[in-house]
Amino acid sequence: MDDTIVSISTPLGRGAISIVRMSGKDSLKIALQVFHCKGEIKPRFLHFGRLKIDDGLEECLMVYFKAPFSYTGEDIVEFQIHGGILLTQKVLETLLKNGCRLAEPGEFSKRAFLNGKITLDKAEAIIGEINAETEGELNSSLKITNGKLAKKIFDEQEELTSLLAEIEVSFDYPENDYEEIVKEKVFDKLKEIKKENDNILEISKSGKYLKNGINVCLVGQANVGKSSVLNCLLGEEKAIVTEIEGTTRDSITESFFHKGVKINLIDTAGIRETEDKVEKLGIKKSIKSIENSDIVLFIHDGSKKSGSENEIAKHLGNKIVINVVNKSDKPRRLEKLENEIEISALEEKNISALKDKIVSEVIKKEISPNALVLTNERQIEILEDCDKLIQEVFALQNSSLDVIAMIIKKIWNKLGQITGNTENEDIISLIFSKFCLGK
Amino acid sequence: MERYDAIVIGAGHAGCEASLALARTGNKTLLLTISLDAVSFLACNPSIGGTAKGQLVSEIDALGGEMGIIADKTALQIRILNKGKGPAVQSLRAQADKNAYHIEMKKTLEKEKNLFLRQGEAVSIELDKDDKIVTTSVGLKYVAKALVFATGVYMESEIIIGKTREKTGPNGFKNSHGLSQSLKNLGIELVRFKTGTPVRLHARSVDYSKMEIQKGDEEISTFSFMTEKPIENKSVCYLTYTTPETHEIIRNNLDKAPAISGEIVGVGPRYCPSIETKIVRFADKERHQLFLEPESASTDEMYLQGFSTSMPAEIQKDMVKSVIGLENAEIMRDAYAIEYDCIVPTQLSPSLELKNIKGMFFAGQINGTSGYEEAAAQGIIAGINANLYLKGKEPLILKRSDAYIGVLIDDIVTKGTNEPYRMMTSRAEYRLLLRQDNADIRLTEIGRRVGLVSDERYKKYQEKLEKMQKIEEKLEKKVKINENLINFFKNHQENPPKESIKYKDMLKRVNIDIFDINKEFNLFDEDYNLLEKVNIKIKYEGYLKQQEEDIQKTQANEKLSIPADFSYENIKGLRKEAIEKLEKIRPLTIAQASRISGVSPADISILTILVKNAKKDKKI
Repeated sequence: MDDTIVSISTPLGRGAISIVRMSGKDSLKIALQVFHCKGEIKPRFLHFGRLKIDDGLEECLMVYFKAPFSYTGEDIVEFQIHGGILLTQKVLETLLKNGCRLAEPGEFSKRAFLNGKITLDKAEAIIGEINAETEGELNSSLKITNGKLAKKIFDEQEELTSLLAEIEVSFDYPENDYEEIVKEKVFDKLKEIKKENDNILEISKSGKYLKNGINVCLVGQANVGKSSVLNCLLGEEKAIVTEIEGTTRDSITESFFHKGVKINLIDTAGIRETEDKVEKLGIKKSIKSIENSDIVLFIHDGSKKSGSENEIAKHLGNKIVINVVNKSDKPRRLEKLENEIEISALEEKNISALKDKIVSEVIKKEISPNALVLTNERQIEILEDCDKLIQEVFALQNSSLDVIAMIIKKIWNKLGQITGNTENEDIISLIFSKFCLGK
Repeated sequence: MERYDAIVIGAGHAGCEASLALARTGNKTLLLTISLDAVSFLACNPSIGGTAKGQLVSEIDALGGEMGIIADKTALQIRILNKGKGPAVQSLRAQADKNAYHIEMKKTLEKEKNLFLRQGEAVSIELDKDDKIVTTSVGLKYVAKALVFATGVYMESEIIIGKTREKTGPNGFKNSHGLSQSLKNLGIELVRFKTGTPVRLHARSVDYSKMEIQKGDEEISTFSFMTEKPIENKSVCYLTYTTPETHEIIRNNLDKAPAISGEIVGVGPRYCPSIETKIVRFADKERHQLFLEPESASTDEMYLQGFSTSMPAEIQKDMVKSVIGLENAEIMRDAYAIEYDCIVPTQLSPSLELKNIKGMFFAGQINGTSGYEEAAAQGIIAGINANLYLKGKEPLILKRSDAYIGVLIDDIVTKGTNEPYRMMTSRAEYRLLLRQDNADIRLTEIGRRVGLVSDERYKKYQEKLEKMQKIEEKLEKKVKINENLINFFKNHQENPPKESIKYKDMLKRVNIDIFDINKEFNLFDEDYNLLEKVNIKIKYEGYLKQQEEDIQKTQANEKLSIPADFSYENIKGLRKEAIEKLEKIRPLTIAQASRISGVSPADISILTILVKNAKKDKKI
C-alpha cells in the first residue's frame, strides 16, 4: 500500500468532464510535477491551473484531500479535465510516467476498506457502483450501500438461527421436556427461505443484466436476413464495437442501449462473413455463439415454408429463444412459431418491439426503486450456493438430523459471509433464551 | 521446604487427571487437597457424561486419562443419548456411584508411585525465579517449577441458602481462604461465578408409583476403550414433575430467593438455572420435569435433578412436598447456591499456562467452566503441558478439529466466558468428526506421544485398528444378484440393485446398516462397538469428507502464526475494540484471532496482510 495509484474515475466517453484520481502518499508530489497554478495548494479547495501534457498545456481543475480525511484515508488528488477519451487517456499516461501505478479494479475501495474508512459490504457495493455503467444499475447498487439488502439477508439468517437453535437444543438437551423438532418443520422452513432467496436471486440476475448487458446472438439459415436484422438493431451511429485483443474477429461484439439496458450482439463478425459461405461453417459458429449468449434470436424467412432449421434448433438447449420472423413485408408462408415476433428488416418494422422483447425476456422482474438487488457477483454466488445447499437438505429426507444440521449450519455460515455474522454464540444464546433447560 | 517437580493444588476432577498425567510422565508430583475425603467428589449430580460431555470423557480416556475407566467401573446405569439423531450427537451418560467413584479414584492416586497425595490447604503462592513456593495453612512450604491450579469452586466460596450465608466449600467441606488474594497479588484477574445444587432425599420417602421409571440401555457401550466387559445396569432413575402448587409457593416467596432478589452477585449458568429462575423466566410453562437419581449403591440418598435452589430451607421443604410423588419426602441435604472466585480464562494461553507466568497452569472450574468432564479434560491437558514445560518441550495444543477438548480450551482462552462454561455439541463445528466412538482413533497416537498411553493400551488400540481394517476388507467383497439379495433389499424398504453389489455399497443405503448385513450374510464375529465404528465410518463417508475439506480450508489460517512480540497498537484500520481484544488475548494464530469476539472479518483481513508482511520483513 506504499505506492500511489491512479485511474480514470468517470466512465469513458460519456459526459463533458472526466476525473482522473490518484491515491497514495506521493499523490501531491506527483501532481505538482505536472500541474501548475497560482498560490498554495490547500486541502479540499478547488484549484484552477494547467496540466503539462506532451508539449502542450491543458486547463483543468484540481482538488487535494489530505490524509486521513479522504475517501481512501490516504492523500488523494483529483483532476477534472474537459474533453473526451483521448485527452483523459493522455492525462492518465502522464501521471503514470511521473510515478503512479495504474489502479486495479476496486483498489480505491480496497484501500478505503483497509484503512478502516468503509466496511466490507459497503466496499463491495461501492465497487459494484464503480462498475455500474448504466443508470438503472447505479440506483440498485446504492440500495446495498444503504444496508437494505444486508437487512433482508440478516432476517433470513435470523430465521435460520432460530431453526438451528431448535435443532441444537434437541441435541444438547435430549432429556428436557420441550417439543422435539421434527424434520417436516425443518423442510418447511427451508422451503420458505428458498422462496425468499429465489426472489432476491431472480431480481439480482436481472440486475446482473443491467450491469453487464444482455448477450444476444443471431442465428439462422443463410439468406434469412441476419445481417440486415443486425444492422437494423444497431441503427446507424449508436453501435459500440468492442474488439477483444488476441482473439479472432469472431468475438467482435457490437452493443447498443435500449431503455437504459445495454444489449450486446455477440459474434457479429461471424454473421457478416458467413452469410453467404458454406452452411457447415455457419452452424459451427452458431453453436459457439449460442453457448455464450443469454438470448438467441433465431431468424427465419417468413416468406418461405420451413426449411432445414432443425440443425440449429438441436443446439439451442435451455436458452431463451426468440423466433424472429423476418420479411413481414412479404406474404407469410411460414407456420406459426413459438415465442415469435414478426419484423421487417427491409422496412424497419417492429424493430423497437423486438428490442422491448429482448429486454423483457430476461429482465422478468421490474426493478422498482426499492427492490433488493445484489449487484456483486460474489453475493449472487453465495445465494446460489445457499440454494444448492438447501436442495441438498431436501435430498436428505431419510438421513439423520445431525447431517441435516451440518448442512443448515453451512447455509447459515454462507449467509454470514454477506452479513458478516458468523458468531456461533448467537445460536447458543437463543437456545437458552427460548427453551427452559437445566439439569 | 519439600521440593517436587510439580505441585497440583486441588484433587477434584481436574487435579486428579493433572497429577496422574504428571506422575505418569515421571515427575515427582505433590497433590494437595483441602480434604482427603473430597478427592474426586461428585459434588452435584451423580452422573458422568451426557451430550458432548460423553465425548470429553472418551477423549480423556484416549489420551491416557482415568475418568472413563473409573466411570465405567462405578456406573450404576448407562444410556446412549440422542440415539436416532445421528452419530455426531450421540453420547453416553452414566449414573455414577458417588461414593465408589471417590474411593476408586483415591485408590488409583495412592497406587501411583510418583504421586504424593497430601491433605493441606494452600494459602499463598510466591515466585522465586522459576520456582513456585506454596505455603499451606499450617505453615508447611512446598516448592516446584511447575504448578497446576485446580481449586474448583473452593476459592473464597460461600454457600447460600435463603438468608444464610456460610463461608464453606461444597457440601460443607472447608473452603479455600487466602489463595485468591495471593493470585490477585500476582496480577491475576478474578471474577465471581455462581452455581447450585438441589436437595437430596431419602429413597424410602418417595412414592415411585406416581413417577415414570427410566431404565438403562440394553445394548451397552463404555466410556473407556480399556473396559473389557459391558456395564451392568444396577439401578433406575425416575421422572416426575412440578405442580401448580410448586410454582405458587415459589412465586409467593420470590422476595426470599437470593438469586432473584439480587443478593447473589455471582454469575450463574444459563443452562442450569435454579427452579425459581426457570419459573420466573418461563412463566407460561405449567410444569417442569424433574429426575430422581440414586447417589450411590451404598446410600439411600436420592438426587432431585432440575430442582436446584437457594430458597430458605423452610421453604425448600414445602417446595419439595408439592412435587408429584414427593408428598412425604424426607430431605437429607438442603439445596444451596455457591459463589466462588475463578480466574478470567483469557489470561491463559491454549496450553492452559498463564501467559505472564511460565510454569503456572490452570485447569477446571477455576477457569470459569462447569462440569466434572470439562474439568478433567482441562486437567489432563494442564498435566501434559506442565510435564512438557518441565522437559523444555513444545506444549500440546489440540485443535478444534482434533477434539472437543480443543474446542473447550480454545473457547475459554480465546473468547472467555461470562458464565460457567458448559460443553455442548453445538459448540463444535466439526462434530461429525469428533464423535465419541472414534475418540481413540483421533487421540491415542497423541496420548502415546506425550507418554500417557501405556504399552497395553497402545497394543489394544493397534489390534483394534487391524480388526477394523479386516472388517472393511470384507465389506469390499461383492455379492452376486439373486432372489435372496433382492428380498434383502425389499425387506429393508430399499430398491434392489440391478447387478452384483459390494457390501460396502449396501451400507450406503439409509435403511441398511452393518448389523442388518451381518444378520443376513454372517460376515463378522467382532463385537458391537467395533462394527458400529465401521458402520458410521462408511455410512457417513461423504459427510466426513466434507468436514475434512472444511478443516483444510481453515488450515492456512491455523498455520499462520502471529509473532509473539507482534504489536497491535498503532495499526491503522483496526478498530479500537479489536486492538484492545487482540492485545489482551494475544492469539497464537490468525485462526485464533478470527475467533475472538469483537474482532471482525475486516480486522482479520488487515491483520493477515500485516502479519504476512512482518514475517517477510523478518526473513530479509
